[in-house]
Amino acid sequence: MMRRTTALLLRHAVGGIPQALADVLVCPLSKKPLRYCEVSGSLVSDAGRMSFPIADGIPCLLPKDGKLLEDHPRESGYETSSRDSSD
Amino acid sequence: MASGAAAAARRLLLLRHRRRHLVPNHHFSSSSAGEELDGGRVKIFDRDLKCRHRDRAAWAMRETDPLVDAVADNLLDRLEDCRKAFPSAFCLGGSAGAVRRSLRGRGGIEKLTMMDMSVDMVNKWRELESATDDGPEMHFIVGDEEYLPIKENSQDLIMSCLGLHWINDLPGAMIQCRLALKPDGLFLAAILGGETLKELRIACTIAQMEREGGISPRMSPLAQVRDAGNLLSRAGFALPGVDVDRYTVKYNSALELVEHLRAMAETNALFQRSPILKRDTALATAAIYQSMFGLEDGTIPATFQVIYMTGWKEHSSQQKPKRRGSATVSFGDIRKQFGSNQD
Repeated sequence: MMRRTTALLLRHAVGGIPQALADVLVCPLSKKPLRYCEVSGSLVSDAGRMSFPIADGIPCLLPKDGKLLEDHPRESGYETSSRDSSD
Repeated sequence: MASGAAAAARRLLLLRHRRRHLVPNHHFSSSSAGEELDGGRVKIFDRDLKCRHRDRAAWAMRETDPLVDAVADNLLDRLEDCRKAFPSAFCLGGSAGAVRRSLRGRGGIEKLTMMDMSVDMVNKWRELESATDDGPEMHFIVGDEEYLPIKENSQDLIMSCLGLHWINDLPGAMIQCRLALKPDGLFLAAILGGETLKELRIACTIAQMEREGGISPRMSPLAQVRDAGNLLSRAGFALPGVDVDRYTVKYNSALELVEHLRAMAETNALFQRSPILKRDTALATAAIYQSMFGLEDGTIPATFQVIYMTGWKEHSSQQKPKRRGSATVSFGDIRKQFGSNQD
C-alpha cells in the first residue's frame, strides 16, 4: 500500500493525482477543464466557479462536495488559469 | 406487478412535481450541462441514501460474490467478441469491484478508471487493488454517474455493472457516457430488469396487506427489456444491442437474501419509501416467502433478471442503413432474379 502510494506521488505532477487521470477530468457540472490549485490542494473549475477536494489522492467530483468560489474576484481566477495551463 | 409499482411511482412523482416549487432547490445547476439535465429531471431515487448504502456495502461486501461475479464475467465476455482493443476504459459504480476481479486481461485494457459516489467504496477498491500487482494502470475517482466528470472523447470503453438502475436520469447519464467515449467507443452496461426479485415483491406486498392493511413501495421500478433498447437509441448509441439473462439464487432464508442485498447495496432507496419496517411485517414477509416459493430442500429461490446493453459511439467505419428512398432496384426484381426457386 505504502509503496504504491509513494510511487503514485512520484509519478504525477498534479497534487497527488496521476497526470493521465488529471488529463481526462472535467467539472461534473459545466464539463469544463479543471485546474489544480496548490494553495487549497483542490481542483478548481473556473467556468463553474467551484472547487472540488482531493482526498488522499482521490479526486472527489460529486456536485455536493463542490464548494462555490465566491470570495475570490473573478479576474484573478482567470489569471491563474492561464498561467497554469501554459506550463 | 412491476408495471403497477411503476405507475404508482409515476403518480407520486406527479404530485411531487406539482409541489416542487415550494421546496427550495439545493442542487447546483449550470447553464450549459444543467439545462439538458434539468429538463427531464425526476427524482425517484434518493442518491444520498444510496451513497450511504454503498458505504455500508464497502464493509459488508464479501471477497467474491457468485451472482455479481457471474454478471461481471458475462459483461466482460462481450469484449472478447470485439476485434478492437480498448486501451482506456472507464468503469462506473455498481459492482465495479467484480468487474476488476473478472477482467483477466480481456479487452486489451491498459488504463482502467473506476468511479463511485461512495468514498468508502472507492477506498476499498484501492485497498484491494494494492494487494494485486498485475493488471492495468488503475485510477480512482469519487463521482456521480448523473454528473460524469469525464472529458469528451477521452475513453475507449465505458462499463457499468449493476449500477445504472439507481440513476434518476438514466437517458441523461447515458448521453454523458456517449459524449465521454471516443468515436467507435463501446458502452457496456448490465442493469437489473423488472423480473428481479419478483418473489420478494409478492411476499412483501402480501405481508404488508395482511399486517398493515396497505402497501408502500419497497422496490424500485426497474427497466423492462424494451425500455433498454429505447434507452440506447435515445442516448444516441449506434448498433444498439440488448440481451437478457436470468439468474436464480438459492438462499437459506429471506433474511439471508436481505443480507445479500445489503452487501450488494441493492436495498430500497426510493424517495417514496416508508421509513419504518415493522418487525412483524418483516417476519411475515419471510414466512410468506418460505411458504409460497420455498423449495423441497428448505431453500428459497430469488430471481435476478439482468439486462445487458451494448452500444457504440458513432463512427464512419460502422455499417449504416442507406437513406430512405435511395434504393434503385425494387424488391420485386430481386425476387425475380434470385428467389424464383423459393416460390
